[in-house]
Amino acid sequence: MYREHDLSYDFLGIHLENPFILSAAPPTDELDMAIDGLKAGWAGVVLKTTSVESNPVNLKYPMMSSFGTAAHKLWGLGNIDLISQYHIDEICERVAALKRMFPTKMIAASIMGSRKEDWQSLVWQLKKAGVDLVECSFSCPQGSMGEAPGRMLAQSVEATEKVARWVKEVAGDTPVLIKITPQVTDIVEIARALKRAGVDGVTASNSVPALIGVDVETLEPRPSLFGEGAYSGMTGMAIKPLTLRTIAEIARNVDITISGNGGAYSWSDAVELMAVGASNVQFCTLPMHHGFGTIRDLKSGLADYLDRKGYASPLDIVGKALKSIKGQEELVTPRSRSDIDLDKCIGCGNCFRACSDGAHRAILWDAEKRQPSVDAEKCPGCGQCMQVCPVNAIRMKEELDGKVHYFEFKGTH
Amino acid sequence: MEEFEKTLSRQQAAIEAERCLYCYDAPCQAKCPAHVPVPEFIQSIRSGNLHGARTLLQTSHPFIETCGRICPEEAFCQSVCTRSKIDAPLRIRELHRFVTDSTDPSDRMELPETTLGRVAIIGAGPAGLACARELRVRGFSCDVFEARQVGGVPSQEVSTHRYPREVDEREVHFLTSTFAAHVCTERVADLKPLAADYDAVFVATGLPFESDMNVEGTQLVGVHQARELLRKMKSGAISGAGNRVGVIGGGNVAIEVASMLREEDPTRDVTVVYRRSIKELKAFKKEIEEATALGVTYQFLAIPDKVVGSHRVEGLQVTQAHLCEEDESGRCRSEPLPGSSFTIPLDTVVVAIGQRIDQGVFPGLARSDSGLISVGENMQTSMPGVYAGGDAVHGAQTVVEAVRDGKKAAEQIAAFVAGGK
Repeated sequence: MYREHDLSYDFLGIHLENPFILSAAPPTDELDMAIDGLKAGWAGVVLKTTSVESNPVNLKYPMMSSFGTAAHKLWGLGNIDLISQYHIDEICERVAALKRMFPTKMIAASIMGSRKEDWQSLVWQLKKAGVDLVECSFSCPQGSMGEAPGRMLAQSVEATEKVARWVKEVAGDTPVLIKITPQVTDIVEIARALKRAGVDGVTASNSVPALIGVDVETLEPRPSLFGEGAYSGMTGMAIKPLTLRTIAEIARNVDITISGNGGAYSWSDAVELMAVGASNVQFCTLPMHHGFGTIRDLKSGLADYLDRKGYASPLDIVGKALKSIKGQEELVTPRSRSDIDLDKCIGCGNCFRACSDGAHRAILWDAEKRQPSVDAEKCPGCGQCMQVCPVNAIRMKEELDGKVHYFEFKGTH
Repeated sequence: MEEFEKTLSRQQAAIEAERCLYCYDAPCQAKCPAHVPVPEFIQSIRSGNLHGARTLLQTSHPFIETCGRICPEEAFCQSVCTRSKIDAPLRIRELHRFVTDSTDPSDRMELPETTLGRVAIIGAGPAGLACARELRVRGFSCDVFEARQVGGVPSQEVSTHRYPREVDEREVHFLTSTFAAHVCTERVADLKPLAADYDAVFVATGLPFESDMNVEGTQLVGVHQARELLRKMKSGAISGAGNRVGVIGGGNVAIEVASMLREEDPTRDVTVVYRRSIKELKAFKKEIEEATALGVTYQFLAIPDKVVGSHRVEGLQVTQAHLCEEDESGRCRSEPLPGSSFTIPLDTVVVAIGQRIDQGVFPGLARSDSGLISVGENMQTSMPGVYAGGDAVHGAQTVVEAVRDGKKAAEQIAAFVAGGK
């Protein structure tokens, strides 16, 4: 009944019907789940990370934890999960089955090994099964294997380059993505190493190593298994800003394809990841929270956005924001002032208090009228008041060369 | 009787608390006569610090269990909640109730020695007990004189579906035991001996009498005074009302007694007979909603002419009324439609048309035309050292307003005693 915007494009030579991929995680760890996800409309799957048959995977349950508030329980999701308990033999069968059922979708698989033979054997078997793309986890926060036990592979520039070369040697023309961790001193170093190794791209980035919480009653870490816990990999909305910075930093410095992953919860989050350099966006926490059906709004929201902005393809978004990301010292120095729209103001006084206790004491308060006003002499236009205003009644106003410009609140949809 | 309103669950309270904007110089707190620090106690709910929330409430207000249940939030805090400018006001009273229902009274109380003086308090209702508590906290000892039941109107006259007996007993017990007010049961009619014996006196005797209806037939068997009936039912006794009850009036007492009569016998027909329309009902919205849910019905625009019957009540003859222009209070006056009278068949008539002060006591106190005790800005009466507050000064008002009077009087009395020494 309604025309559907064509969201398809090629990614590393693979046809994607839209930019939204189910990442290597629990939603792709069973064949029927992967099938349901693809049927729901996801453009592809990266099957949960597998390993060689000799590798035991000892999972500890409950593995999930989260943090948030009463109304928003799941700002951040944590897991002490490991890679899949299904080994490469089973995964190859699934790849072949999925390829038969969904010839136009991207069927990818994620692998993790330790020795060179393992990595290369995994790639070789997947290629034989007809996989579209191989993703290599260099960054599972738990259960790292191989070169530096207890440390993620992608935390070492040398190990990253070496193992990436092993993989690409066997992969040949099958595209290889290396999934990296944001937890490094210099993400650009890692991306350069991967470029040197000749892989096709990076998946930026994996879950963030984190301690989800401490139970203040028992003083046990969260999650707690009989009083003891471990660090989690954190995902979900809370990590989106970290992912954005990781992707942007790679894209600004290294010419390499990026698959975005980590913290996207909506079509507009996906647009943000793409705008800083991701060519597609992987999702895990969103479907783990609200199901595979979330693909409907991802597609419809993106289609509407492309229409609205006059973009023909999702690729038109990729990297569009990068030219505007600068060092703080390179930015112009505006002379802005807080500008409060009293017609919108509801008189809560949050701006006054925030300015008084946390900024420049530049907002005055009329207790009688319950109205704020700005002391233009004292206000440098820092913008804290507009962050705390519950009704977005505050903008920063700048008059430069006789022209008025407003810096407006951007945060929520 | 089960309570009408359920307390919020921990999750409901936490989610509701997240809606609070934590306004600067919050209007809710200013509007509360007892100045309950609303944003602060809500912040403590949000952080899971329920004992901290309880301590805040307990510090600002002696009747927290009572007000968490029966305070008419629409008249106070919630009426000015800034959040209503976005969507809907916070459910402040229910959050308050959540705190008192989820925590025990704080036992981390530190009270000073009672070295500052002795104060006599006449009347152990909300105003009197609030004053006694404030004075005790400041270091005074108090004797509270109460001829009826300690606790005043809420204890005696608020229906159990809104304010259960055990809650009331807990609250009053906590107040009298923790704050060590000595309760004397003798009736005080003359202030002079007390004024001589004590450093100061606080009169908070409320409105003990009920207004009479000036029509024929009020002497018939089956005519009751509303508050007397409420006290009887609240004490656990059977009301003795029949099966077809008419309650005359449109205020909180009328709605309260109508509700409680339905609660006592759900098969009984209870009709509130009111001379104006539903819009002019003076009772608080929530009480009207609860009464309606309990099955109370209404006969609006009916002016009582006489109670009909030979020995017992057989009916109430009323004249139909129509509404005229608004008077100075903004309410429409009702005027009878001549020749439109009819008789409502009833076996019980309950009169709830107002309450009066006792003018036969405390000679020498200056009073207003209506007999209410006159006080100055500092709450002092015409007799030096004698202060007054609550309904006896302002006419019928809410518990939280009585608390405000008690707190303010305590402050003034403390200053008075300090100045005299």
